[in-house]
Order: sequence, then structure tokens, then C-alpha cells
Amino acid sequence: MIDVLAAEWWKLKTVRSTGWILAIVAGCVGLACLLAWYAVVTWDGLSAERRGEFGLAPLPAITVELTSMCLAVLGVLAVTSEYSSGLIRTTLTVVPKRRSVLFAKACVVTVVAFLIGLVAVCATSLVGRLIIDGRPIRGQWSTTFSEELPLLLAMSLVVTVFALVGLGLGTLMRSAAGAIATVVALWYVVPMIAVNLPAPWNARIGSLMLGSLAGQLAGTGNDNSVYGAELSPLGALSVMLGYVVLALGAGAIRLSRKDV
Amino acid sequence: MIEVRELTKTYGTTPAVDGLTFTVKPGSVTGFLGPNGAGKSTTMRVLLGLAAPTSGEALVDSRRYVELRRPMCDVGALLDANAVHGGRTALNHLRCLARTNRIGASRVTTVLEQVGLAGVARKRVGGFSLGMKQRLGIAAALLGDPGVLLFDEPVNGLDPDGVRWIRELMRSLAAEGRTVLISSHLMSEMELTADRLVIIGRGRLIADTSVQELADRFRRGVLVRSPRAEELTGVLESAGATVAADPSGGLSVSGLEVAAIGDLAAARGIPVHEVTPRSASLEEAYMELTADSVEYAATMPGVSR
Repeated sequence: MIDVLAAEWWKLKTVRSTGWILAIVAGCVGLACLLAWYAVVTWDGLSAERRGEFGLAPLPAITVELTSMCLAVLGVLAVTSEYSSGLIRTTLTVVPKRRSVLFAKACVVTVVAFLIGLVAVCATSLVGRLIIDGRPIRGQWSTTFSEELPLLLAMSLVVTVFALVGLGLGTLMRSAAGAIATVVALWYVVPMIAVNLPAPWNARIGSLMLGSLAGQLAGTGNDNSVYGAELSPLGALSVMLGYVVLALGAGAIRLSRKDV
Repeated sequence: MIEVRELTKTYGTTPAVDGLTFTVKPGSVTGFLGPNGAGKSTTMRVLLGLAAPTSGEALVDSRRYVELRRPMCDVGALLDANAVHGGRTALNHLRCLARTNRIGASRVTTVLEQVGLAGVARKRVGGFSLGMKQRLGIAAALLGDPGVLLFDEPVNGLDPDGVRWIRELMRSLAAEGRTVLISSHLMSEMELTADRLVIIGRGRLIADTSVQELADRFRRGVLVRSPRAEELTGVLESAGATVAADPSGGLSVSGLEVAAIGDLAAARGIPVHEVTPRSASLEEAYMELTADSVEYAATMPGVSR
């Protein structure tokens, strides 16, 4: 098993798409910091009474949305690139235990996604705090970094879940286009539909959206967002696991039962 | 040793492989021949555990492929040389494969040298020609130093030098006592490379034979030229041969070997200007065998009698 893990790690490391995705994540962090700088410049130029009307969404929440999408694509490509090139046949020839291959890919994707997610949101928080520099801009930090850390960890978990859902859907569909389209739907389209449902269903369904789970898991809620916040931290964790089990389980069944 | 027993693989209602049985023994190169769509690749995919058989089984060293613990050390396979990630270098591609079966990095270097790709080991595979990718695929198959080797159309895309290299490599691998199975739709290539032939058509076995047996089977009599042709005809016919006039002007004799014809003519003092055994080329034999594979499969399951 260690050998298959090492091989999958080497595979992910030695394709250019991984580097590109890392670069885009770094770009997203940069973008969030640029936004912070823009907010500061604007806020500084406003009169005292107009400053109260000025607000900006929490910066790590912006980073985590974009990073989630990037890592979901990484998860999708970790398996679909093998199908599109035909390499999957070689992979399953050298490791005939197909579930081991998927398990190894899942482990590698989990570690990579969690660490990249954590670095991205922590970097956004640390640099963002430096730029905002204690200005009481609405939506920005009223907590210290260590108080915010549970939320940042929960966000990294959401990034990881997105990546694993991408991997599962890629294994299930064997097509990058299909899997990425589905991930985008989960990431953006379904929450948009959910928020427009009549109450109380908008909040109920909105609480099940992947993007809503970090706030619920850390117990900070999801104010000023399309998401609901009706789950307990434990409930949010269960829903996260549910997404992973559903996507990877469906992928595993297709992988082990169908010819390649 | 490869054993395929009563193997059937059906896609929808179409049988790709239909009750196929054959054995590939170590120590020789076995050509796996058949027209496009005959079921060669499907058979290989079932052998490698990539496709599940509808019925029957395919065994490697008496075991199902999925039961092998370190399959690369038992079986090396090249199915599709293009099935590589273009962004990875040759070295990294092989490292990824080697790692799964606990094969060391030094072995990767060795096989890269063996196939002549050491100089481009750090180049991305996407820029490789088909011939270079074939070499890379062969390197991957050799990584585990396996006793059984399967190659699906390995000479496709190779230049004449490459074709000769493959031919010699296959023969040397077999000479080392390995089991080598090469699929091809080109009899002309197999004629030069293989010792044995497994010929299939429409998923069924047409012939499981040696190259020599196939050549013998399609022998087409002896061409004899003599200035006293009429007299010689009588002599040969009375010895049991069938003699017909050959379009080229000589006599086409069947039912007697070259030596017997020569002896008979000498005994009667009949001068003979030419005695040539003739056989259909293996290519012709193959075309004839596969022309209507269903009919042949129904009337003669094996050529060796």
C-alpha cells in the first residue's frame, strides 16, 4: 500500500497541471490581498459617517471559495487525466487491486488539498490583517488570528472535501469535462438555486451546501452569505463525510465493476 | 505460460471473443494474429485483468492476473504506446510505475538504456515520436524483469531499424526462456519474428500452429521442367502423383516429394531441368485462413493434424 501511495504522490507531483493549480491558488490569495488594499484605500478616503456603510466580505471566505474550486479540479484531474491518456490501463495493470489505486489517490489528494487550503486561508488571514491594520471595516476581523484558527481549519477541510468530491466524480464519470461541470454546479449553481427557494427551505437546503459547512463546523455561522447555518458542528462534519463517502463510494463501485 | 480456456467476452450482444482456447508456452515467440477486430486486444485486456470475461478464464502461470502480488515481476505488458501522460518525463513515467511494484530506481535507468532512451530520459513524453513511445512502453514492460511478456502491435510506428531491434529483442527474450506473446495483424512481420502462431478471427481460434507447420500445410506441389515432359508425366502418375500442366510451361506435381521425383526421373534416364517445391507464402496462407474465419472455425479448429 505504501508503494502505491508513493507512486500516486509521485504522479501528482510530476504533472504540470498540479503546478498550475498551485499558481492559481497563490493568485487567489494575492487577489484577496489586493481587495484588502483596495478596501483600505477606499475606506481611508471616506468621511466618518460614510465609513459605516462601507463593507467587505471576510477575506478568507473569498479565498476558500476560489481555492475549493481549484482543488476540486485537481481532484478531478488526478484521475481523469489517466482516463483521457489511457494511462489508467497501465496503472491498473501494475496495481490490479483497483480500490487500492483509488484509496491511494484519495490519500494523496486529501493531504495536498488540506495543506494547500490551510496555507491559502492562513496566508490570506495573516497578510489581510497586516493590510487592514485594525481598521474597523465592516465584515473584517473582530477576532485575533488564534481565535479565527478553528474557522480556518474548517475551511481547509471544506477545500479537502471539494477535492475528494472532484476525485470521486472523476472516477465515476471518467471524463474531466463532466466531472468539472458537476463540481461547478455543486460549488455555485446549486447554492444559487437553494437561496431562492421559499423559506424555510432556503435555509435548510442552504445549510447542506458544501460551502456552508466551514462556518457551521466552526460555529461561526454564515451571516451575509447565500448559505444557511442550521447544522450543529457535528451535523456539519457528518454532512462533509457524507459528501466524501457518496462521491468516492460511487467512484469506487464504477472503478471496481467496470472494464477499463 | 499463458493459458486461455474457453474464453468468451461479449459486449452487448456482440461476442468479441468467442470460446477461445489456446496456450502460450515459454521459450518461444508466439505471434497472436488476426484481422482488425478479431479479438486480440480484448483477449489481452482480459489476460491483464482489465476486462472481466463473460465466461471462461485466462491464466498467467496458472493464476488469475488479479491474484498476482507484484504483477510487474510476473507479467510485462505493452497495450498502447500512446497511453502515457504527455506532461511527464520518461524517467518520471517509469518511476511512477516502478514504485508501485517496489522496483528500484537503478532498474529504471537500466531499462531506459536497454531501449535506447537514456538520452531523452528527462524529456517530456508528449514530445516523443510514436517509435520512441513504443520503446518507452517496452521499457515499462521490462521493468520488473518478468517471465511473461505481452505486446500489442509493438512494431506499429517504428522505422526499419526499430522493427529489427524489436524483432531481435523479442527473440532474445524468448531465448532466455520467457513467454512472449505479440499481437499483430501483419503476417509478414510475424513470419520473421515468431516461432509459433495463434491465429484468430471473429473471436474464434482459426489455427494454433508453428510457422513451419503452417508453411508445410500450404505447400502447393512441385514445379518440374523436363524436355521429355509427357514421358515424365506418365512415370510420375504411375508412381501415384497428380500431374497438371503449369501455366508457366512446366509440370505442377503434387503427391510426391522433390527427392522422389528426382529419383524416378533418374531411374528412367529422363533429364530434368528444374525441380522446385512451391508453397503459398505465409501471407497468402494467412489471408486464406482468415478470409472466412467463421467457416474455418467451424470445420477445422486446429491446423496441426
